[in-house]
Amino acid sequence: MKYIYKIVLAITAVLCFGQNLAANEQVELKEHFLKKIDEIILIVAKKEFTKDERNGKIVKSLTPMFDFELMAKLSLGNRWKDLSDTEKEKFVALYVERMKQSYSSKIDAYKDEKVEIKKVEQAKEDRITLVTDLVSKTEKLEIAYKFHKPKKPIASKDSWLIYDVEILGVSILKTDIAQFKEFLHTKSMSELMDALAKQS
Amino acid sequence: MRTIYLSMVSCVLVFGLSGCGSKSIEKPQEVAQAQKSNGADDELASFTDEMKVQEIYDPLSGYNRMMTSFNDAAYEYVLKPVATGYKNMLHFEIRNSIENFFENLYFPVRFANTLLQGKFSYAAEETGRFVINSTVGVLGLFDSAKSCFELEAHEEDFGQTLGYYGVGGGPHIVLPLLGPSNLRDTLSLYPDSVLSVIDWEERDYWTLTDTPAEYIGVKSLEKINTISIHMDKYEKMKEDAVDLYPFLRDMYEQRRKKQIEE
Repeated sequence: MKYIYKIVLAITAVLCFGQNLAANEQVELKEHFLKKIDEIILIVAKKEFTKDERNGKIVKSLTPMFDFELMAKLSLGNRWKDLSDTEKEKFVALYVERMKQSYSSKIDAYKDEKVEIKKVEQAKEDRITLVTDLVSKTEKLEIAYKFHKPKKPIASKDSWLIYDVEILGVSILKTDIAQFKEFLHTKSMSELMDALAKQS
Repeated sequence: MRTIYLSMVSCVLVFGLSGCGSKSIEKPQEVAQAQKSNGADDELASFTDEMKVQEIYDPLSGYNRMMTSFNDAAYEYVLKPVATGYKNMLHFEIRNSIENFFENLYFPVRFANTLLQGKFSYAAEETGRFVINSTVGVLGLFDSAKSCFELEAHEEDFGQTLGYYGVGGGPHIVLPLLGPSNLRDTLSLYPDSVLSVIDWEERDYWTLTDTPAEYIGVKSLEKINTISIHMDKYEKMKEDAVDLYPFLRDMYEQRRKKQIEE
């Protein structure tokens, strides 16, 4: 009897601990995210920097939180595996640079907006979505940040990484997947790379 | 006119309900091909389902591409310069009030569509917003319902109502000046316009405009006003387009899907 009691206790302990761990992970991620936002708001507010300096600092602060490399691979869909190793390397570099530019210029345009976390969703063990509202004086913009946890941690990166951002339901990554696919229907990979290079 | 309209509506219903509105690009063998040779590929494969993009039914792509270029040129060379001048002339608060005023006028459209979708709490909130903004908010110029009572607007239109009942979007259509749309949403413009007080047709109730000229004038003001407020957003967004037409098309369809789900 005592034996069964011990087993039950052990199982309960494991279950509670496991659940606690997941909840903790969410709380940690949420806090880390808000800390990052504060950090970025401080950079944006510093008007003594030039625009380029500001963008550089924003990129430096954001990079550990984003998995731009994964986004680059996913953006090509089925075409990714057809690339040669040098092409892969070149494409990732171009895509990452474009993303950095795109994010920093968008964030630099923020004024008096506040970020509020509305919901935390965990669909799978290694996926968390933070649903936030970007609140300005006149409107509210729903932005969802999708995080994944790579099996092997990546050096110089956070343990949870953003791989997609959805603004009012429009996924940045899905939009890229669709437009690259259409582009490659009529044009070549090197033309796509030229187009990406022009954007950053 | 009405018969043509009805026959077009039945067309879109057949189109949408028969399920050929959209098809998925990822054929089973393509998914299977997302091979699992090593760890890195394994990781990519775990995203395959999530990143499956719905291919948009687009038989009119040639026309749509042309119309997108036309709209973009109209934006760059006509609408943007006009909106910039307008923006410099009027303070943001005034332009914001004009936007609120128009939004308030479209109350019957939103109200009817929330009811048609059975969203009674939204309908009640919309009514509350209309009453408060028309009175305290001085004919809708101020969004007091939001600032004082935290009542948020619910963008609902007939296209969303049809979508709510399972009607697919049908072929994607880019409308002159209005931008991306699809067959379902284009046909839905008519029922919504019947409920709008900005229209030139003879009505039993009060309308803001009585003649086509007045209608065009008011609609142009509304458009220029909206552009003057959201100009930066459109341009920042456009910077990410490698190919503008599919970029805008996919954003539109993803946005509508989300709106219908809400």
